[in-house]
Amino acid sequence: MRLDDSEEQAAFRAGLETWLAEQLPDATPSAPRAWSADELRAWSKALHAAGYAGLTWPAEHGGRGLSPAYQAIYAEESALAEAPDHAGVIGLGMVGPAIVHYGTDAQKATHLPRILSGETIFCQGFSEPDAGSDLASARTRARRVDGGYVVDGEKVWSSYAHLADHCLLLARTDPDAAKHRGLTCFLLDMRAPGVEVRPLRQLSGDTDFNQILLSGVEIPEDRVLGEPGQGWRVALTTLAHERGTFGITLTARLAVQLDRLVKTAKVCGGDTDPRVRAEIAELHVELQGLRFTGYRALAAMERTGEPGPESSILKLRWSRANQRVSALALRLLGAGAAADGTDAFWGGYWQHQRLRSRANSIEGGTSEILRGIVAERVLGLPKSR
Amino acid sequence: MDFALTEDQTGLKAAARTYLEDTYGLDRIAALADDGEQDLAAWPELVRQGWLDTDLGLAEFVLLAEEGGRALHPVPWFATAGLALPVYRAAGVVPPGPATLADGGDTCRAVRRDDGWRLDGAVQTVLHADVATELLVAARTPAGVALFGVDPAAASLSARDGVDPLRATSDVALAGAEGRLLIGPPGAASLLSALRDRATTLLAGEAIGVADRALAIAVEHAKARTQFDRPIGSFQAVSQQLADGYAEVELARSLAYRAAAGEARSAEAVACAAHAASRAAITVCETAIQVCGGMGVTWEFPLHRWFRRALWLEAELASSRPLAAIAHSLFGEHS
Repeated sequence: MRLDDSEEQAAFRAGLETWLAEQLPDATPSAPRAWSADELRAWSKALHAAGYAGLTWPAEHGGRGLSPAYQAIYAEESALAEAPDHAGVIGLGMVGPAIVHYGTDAQKATHLPRILSGETIFCQGFSEPDAGSDLASARTRARRVDGGYVVDGEKVWSSYAHLADHCLLLARTDPDAAKHRGLTCFLLDMRAPGVEVRPLRQLSGDTDFNQILLSGVEIPEDRVLGEPGQGWRVALTTLAHERGTFGITLTARLAVQLDRLVKTAKVCGGDTDPRVRAEIAELHVELQGLRFTGYRALAAMERTGEPGPESSILKLRWSRANQRVSALALRLLGAGAAADGTDAFWGGYWQHQRLRSRANSIEGGTSEILRGIVAERVLGLPKSR
Repeated sequence: MDFALTEDQTGLKAAARTYLEDTYGLDRIAALADDGEQDLAAWPELVRQGWLDTDLGLAEFVLLAEEGGRALHPVPWFATAGLALPVYRAAGVVPPGPATLADGGDTCRAVRRDDGWRLDGAVQTVLHADVATELLVAARTPAGVALFGVDPAAASLSARDGVDPLRATSDVALAGAEGRLLIGPPGAASLLSALRDRATTLLAGEAIGVADRALAIAVEHAKARTQFDRPIGSFQAVSQQLADGYAEVELARSLAYRAAAGEARSAEAVACAAHAASRAAITVCETAIQVCGGMGVTWEFPLHRWFRRALWLEAELASSRPLAAIAHSLFGEHS
């Protein structure tokens, strides 16, 4: 049981910290800056050039072949430095590993180097309007035609789709097969005729997600990832990679938020109120619990290749903690919490966070689904319906 | 970083669990608790198994405490290993048997008489004083606080009722009792302070064990008990409460292991462990009782034994005021 980095990890962390400090303007105490699409692409190129893209990818595919601990160090330091995501975060973290696992030689040669360099941005086309948590009930239909498939349907909650060059698409190729068996994954070119992306405006006013409308989109058969009918397995592999070091990223971002909350409490005079102090202390306990549970999950992953069962609670408890942080921040502002924008404290940062964080317990697996996973897979309780 | 149990630690934990499960079934625990007794006959076996070995580090002690909490291990191991052992170790003395600490730094006085020390004063609610072969008493001397070994027969003990019958306490009164000096000033004061952090960390480990066992009892019940022709664990209203209990246990476990693993003991790490673990013990015991329904609130059903331990732990762990300590570390200047 060791809490500190190994010598090699410490050196990697120090180098990364220095690099991030050089690349990023000083972090402000208030709202983080917004990044334009062009800036995100430039950031991705810089990450690649500095060797921080594809840390855990096999060296034969252009990665550095490092263990997940290094990806975790990257996730932590980059969040603490308030660096943006690599624009290709979905390609790097999810689609790329799925291509390494299931792709043909041609698919690997086409996509992997370009994902790494940030030239190709991937999005994920899994969720659908009528199939939120029940992913396997996807209805987007891919009909077999000569030389390929024709796809019709609608995808939703797709991050980065407005920037994406390609999409890892889950579609139903066999409507007569059992729910999980009739699905196939495709590497869809987002510029193909019939693909339309519409930004989805959330209650916060943000447009982080998109709808993807597909009508009569032709996909050549060499774009099938894995075997036809094996789409569910490909999707699960992809999602498993999503969960890898994600908890560590979330926790590091929560640390930044909590730091802002402490600063806000000091400015508003809440730091002398024993109830406020106790509540912030409780949030700190929650943060540290998440942090060290993330490290435990990581250690399990280093040993067995899979995150331990405790990793299933990270997102569940993170979402609640993140929501509590912004709720408390607004309470600290008192009547001033009713203002927004330039009239508000920190330009409305906390108002925005309060609204945005409401989605935390819904996006990326609802809290109810996550509790169900714990109940069935970890505690061994009978399936509930 | 490699924040996971080593193979040796996993083995130690598994061996402890097997021993405790084989030795202390639910009936045995119930009988001992109803009589307010400790299983002193098991002490030599415990020593033989190495539960007080000098090569165990704090992480290993926390794992043993966790398993002890799971089993409601009915021996004075925590009082001995958690409170007394560091004093014996620092003094280079082998513990004579089960022992405990009477922290009388504010209420006891020691003076030199003839060739030894005589102690006067009183200490309230001393854990397991009734079964200790030696009381370690912290008392003031003209040069500062010091630690003495006192024969329980030389003290006057009066038993007190407690919320957890397996954690009996007594008020200890000393009137000129002879004490053997183990640690003198100024070392005793810093040893006592380190000892409190260590004891808090062990109790956090114990609290996780309590929560873990309560959860396990409730999960078994939810699988076996049927209502409306289905196991109650298939109802989301039940299963989601248990999933929340699991999350509570795992976060607290990470914090207790972290407090035990750090090379330099951090007050913040100990406080986080104390708060999270005591909350986990209380909320998971309460959830477990809720899930077990009418059964859960009867004397015959075992859960109240763990709930009582959780209440005892909550009181003990709250005494270190963990949230205030954390707020102090976050906000600095104010207190």
